[in-house]
Parts: sequence; structure tokens; C-alpha cells
Amino acid sequence: MTKQLKRTVLEQANAWIESNQKVVLARVIHTWGSSPCPTGSSMIINEKGDFFGSVSGGCVESNVIAECLELIKNNNLFKQIKFKVSDQSAWDVGLACGGEIKIFIEQINS
Amino acid sequence: MKIQILKEIIQKKSSKEKFAVLTNLINGNSEIFEFGKFLSKDFESSKKKIENYHYLKKNGIIDGTQIFIQNYIKPIEVIIVGAVHISQYLVDLFKNLDFVVKIIDPRKYFITEERFPNIEIINGWPEEILKKLQTNSNNALITLTHDPKIDDPALRHALKNKFFYIGALGSKKTHIKRCERLKEAGFSEVEIDSIHGPIGIKLGGKSAPEIALSIVAQLVSETHKL
Repeated sequence: MTKQLKRTVLEQANAWIESNQKVVLARVIHTWGSSPCPTGSSMIINEKGDFFGSVSGGCVESNVIAECLELIKNNNLFKQIKFKVSDQSAWDVGLACGGEIKIFIEQINS
Repeated sequence: MKIQILKEIIQKKSSKEKFAVLTNLINGNSEIFEFGKFLSKDFESSKKKIENYHYLKKNGIIDGTQIFIQNYIKPIEVIIVGAVHISQYLVDLFKNLDFVVKIIDPRKYFITEERFPNIEIINGWPEEILKKLQTNSNNALITLTHDPKIDDPALRHALKNKFFYIGALGSKKTHIKRCERLKEAGFSEVEIDSIHGPIGIKLGGKSAPEIALSIVAQLVSETHKL
């Protein structure tokens, strides 16, 4: 038996769900140029705004959290978000490293 | 994503299976993929492409589709021989990396739960223990006792079973003697040269945590050459 060393993003998501919280999973599905986190990187957000994991080196997280909370509020199931360095909004949220990323956010539901 | 899929991913990851998670970006449906598994209509028309991406361990949106694939590969298993001070720091460093760690030591007073909480420890001789474990090129071996009667059988096992990384602690002199013994045991020069000895990248430090860091750095760098 291999013992558990650390709780992963998905295990944390499961723990939040078991304590009856709404959870959104955000995953990097596409990257161009120099983006800090590789495709497949993931982060989870609960309805209180707590988050775990990462989808960039801290550049776009706050924006992703806001989008996830919006998803819960509007009771939507999923959404694609794209951060482009040429967009003014991307500069605002700080993806100044010259990369572009596409993130898929989705509610974990029963 | 359905909670059942999430639970299935967690379970499969913990049982160290190789699989992928497919997500249809148009309707948000996700499912688990494994070679030979029947796919639902959300994904079946792209089966060939999915198999190819999974084979190449490539994550991303599959070309010409709206399917995202995320691959989960078997984690690398690191076997540490010697429940020594350096091993305690190794366990700490490996904790944040995706490796599965086992420690073997025949010396009972070294290999205790108090010294190694939350990690698989095996009290016994490497020669006997390794025979019982399933090992292959997905394994790494770190020998730290620099006692030939403990380390050498483990090194011989790792060479025979083509571990992708083998590292042995000990000075240059100790390593030369070790190589001579392995040569006598019938291993080729190429095989013996594949052992990282003295173990670790050059950091310049001599303390236990510094040596541990230099070993982990070397192992991670070898992992990315795979």
C-alpha cells in the first residue's frame, strides 16, 4: 500500500463537494507562446471563493476565480475563457509574460 | 463534470492506472478513456485521434475536434535503499513531486514509523524485497547505505530490470570499487556507466538536505529526458 502524501486538486474538490459546497474546476486546455502553466494544469474554486491549484503563475487567477463564481451564480455548467496578451483585459489581469491561454471552467455536478 | 467521473479519476490515480479524461468542449460531457474501452457517441467518431494522443501522452484539444484530452500516466516509483538521514529529506522533497516512494532497509533501528511517517517502509534485505516487487523501466533506484552488502544487490537488480535512473551514494573512490565489483558480477561498461555515482548534481553542499536536493534535482532532470 502506498500512503498518501498530499491532497491533490481533485481530492480537494471531492472534499469540498462532500461538505456540500459548489465547486468549479478550471483547466488549461490550450496554450500559445510562453504561458507559465502547461496544458492540463488545474485549479478549483468553491462558492466561497476559496481556491486550490493554479492555471498560471498567478497572472490570471483572480480573473478565473471571478468567472467561476459568476458560473455558480448564473448556474451555468461550463464556459471557455481565453486570455490573450494583445487584449487590454489580459494586461489588466496581468498575463504580461507574452503567452496566451484558453481555460475551460465547469461545475462539478451530480 | 459529473462527480462520479471526478471520483473515478481520483480512484484510478491512486491505483496508479494509465488512462485519460476526455471532455467534449461543445456540451461539457466528460468520460474516462482507456485503450480498448468503448466510447460514447460524444467521442467515438474521433477514436483513432484520441488513441494517438493518448499513446503520445499529449494533452490538449485534439486537432480538428472540440475534444480536450488529459492523460494520466503511471507515476514513477522511486525505491530508496537506506533509511538514513538523507532519506528523511528525500521524502520531504518528493512529497511535492509526483513520485511514489518506497524505502527499504534491513536495519530495523533505522527503518521506523517515527523516522518515516506517511511513507511505505520495508524492513528487509533489498535482494529479497526487490524480487517480490514488480519493477521495470518506470522505476528509479537510490542507494544510500554505501554498504556493499546492502547496496550492491539492489544495484544489480536495478541494472537487470532496466531502471531508468540508478544513483548510488559514496565518494569517487567508493564508486570506483563499486564499479569493479559490478564488472566482476558480469555487467557491461555501458550498464555500469549508467549508474549515477557519486549520486546527485553538483551543488557544492554536504549537509543531508543539500545532498537530498541534489539527488532530487538529478532524478527530475533524468525524468524529463524520458
